[in-house]
Amino acid sequence: MDHSAYIEAAAATLGLTLTQEQRKGVTLYFGLAASMAALLQGLPLTPADESGNVFVPVPPQGQE
Amino acid sequence: MNASAVSVAAAVREGRIQAIDGVRQALQRIAATDKQVNAFTSVLADRALKRAAWVDAHPRRARMRLAGVPFAVKNLFDVAGLPTLAGSKIEREAAPAARDAVLVRRLESEGAVLVGALNMDEYAYGFSTENTHYGPTRNPHDPARISGGSSGGSAAAVAAGQVPLTLGSDTNGSIRVPASLCGTFGLKPTFGRLPRTGSYPFVASLDHLGPFARGAADLALAYDLMQGPDRDDPACAQRDIEPVSPLLERGAAGLRVAVLGGWFRTMALAEALAAVDAVAQALGTTRLVELPEAARARAAAFLITCAEGGALHLHDLRRRAHDFDPMTRDRFLANALVPAAWVVQAQRVRHWFARHVAQVFQTVDVLIAPATPCTAPTIGTEWLEINGQRLPARASMGLLTQPISCIGLPVATVPLWGMNPAAPQLPIGVQLIAAPWREDHCLRVAAALEAAGLCSAPVAALGSGA
Repeated sequence: MDHSAYIEAAAATLGLTLTQEQRKGVTLYFGLAASMAALLQGLPLTPADESGNVFVPVPPQGQE
Repeated sequence: MNASAVSVAAAVREGRIQAIDGVRQALQRIAATDKQVNAFTSVLADRALKRAAWVDAHPRRARMRLAGVPFAVKNLFDVAGLPTLAGSKIEREAAPAARDAVLVRRLESEGAVLVGALNMDEYAYGFSTENTHYGPTRNPHDPARISGGSSGGSAAAVAAGQVPLTLGSDTNGSIRVPASLCGTFGLKPTFGRLPRTGSYPFVASLDHLGPFARGAADLALAYDLMQGPDRDDPACAQRDIEPVSPLLERGAAGLRVAVLGGWFRTMALAEALAAVDAVAQALGTTRLVELPEAARARAAAFLITCAEGGALHLHDLRRRAHDFDPMTRDRFLANALVPAAWVVQAQRVRHWFARHVAQVFQTVDVLIAPATPCTAPTIGTEWLEINGQRLPARASMGLLTQPISCIGLPVATVPLWGMNPAAPQLPIGVQLIAAPWREDHCLRVAAALEAAGLCSAPVAALGSGA
């Protein structure tokens, strides 16, 4: 899949300026991340499969 | 210096040697060998000698459990008075740290003496410590080869006999990979066990800190003294200290041990499989188990790393991308662009994997797997062939560690020798993986393998450093 349009749009949105030299590497590594994402999308999950990133509330000091 | 941390501390406690003499010996060894190894980015001779004198004069010296033990830390740990480099050029401009990292303070309160800061991959993003800003850290057992990373300086300093104890960090394998390639023992505790307060983050969801040493008893002692909650690290579990050192003498008795199959065998070369098989034989197990979806767990860790690492450095990527190490720059830029949906899915897969692996641990206590797919490649190696695939060499060093740290399991890495007939002088590490919060299990097995003579961490035979 060609990600070049997404890369240009996302970089501009985030305020990143990619040089020609950087663009080659960025395209390579973004493609690698995309292949990892595709692998993950292949695992069937249900809405009950929650995130592994769980927030821990912070009580005031002395009230833990 | 060949002595273990345990034996140095005993000698200082009993007054057989002075702390200052042990520290001088470490400083001399560093001066004699670091031109060859390049493990240190800062040597803190004045600070170390003052601290050693403090230990020698301290009324509690006879009870300090690390009395006079020289140690060093990856340069992402805060050291008072130094900018925390995290392997970068950019952080040279940062304000000096106001105080030491929590783990440094905990070790020093027991008499250990910090002697310096150690080289690493920039911002901990790599498995080779081929740092462009500070030069590569070379493998003490073959200086033409990589030390592994990102805690390459931490492993190399121990392997070179510069200090008996170092600290590093492990997000995707950065303790286990260099421990494997440099032939040291290493411990990546359970995620959340040791506080990270005062260390430069890489991926907050995955970052762990831990020790390197030349034996299981030293790992266990340092680990025991670093335990305990710290409210300034939100990921640090509010758990009581659970000392492991008194349990080591139990060895592997009564523990159920199995070899990891599937991904952990297909993505390993012959020397890695030989090491695992030797450990399995020594422990008397022929049982093979598989973790479901290990490749997807690795992909989840990969994407979480992308997203958090990229976001963390976005400000500098906008302003001064040219100041990043060329080894990391384009990856950080690409990572900053990763869409949220990929990352959320990765976190969900991470939790799925953790729940399924927990089921595996209902019938087993320790799992055995290679720490790296192969022994140390030469510096500059770009590609490796693994399982018939041509893969990027540096990223591939973490193939077998990433699925494990993705779900925060504790791992002791132990070194074996002579497993690669083409390079018998090189070590390779084996991961001993336990269920969450069971560091005692993996360290007991590490101690048993060391006692049996299968695993050891000899100091490398380096020249005088001319």
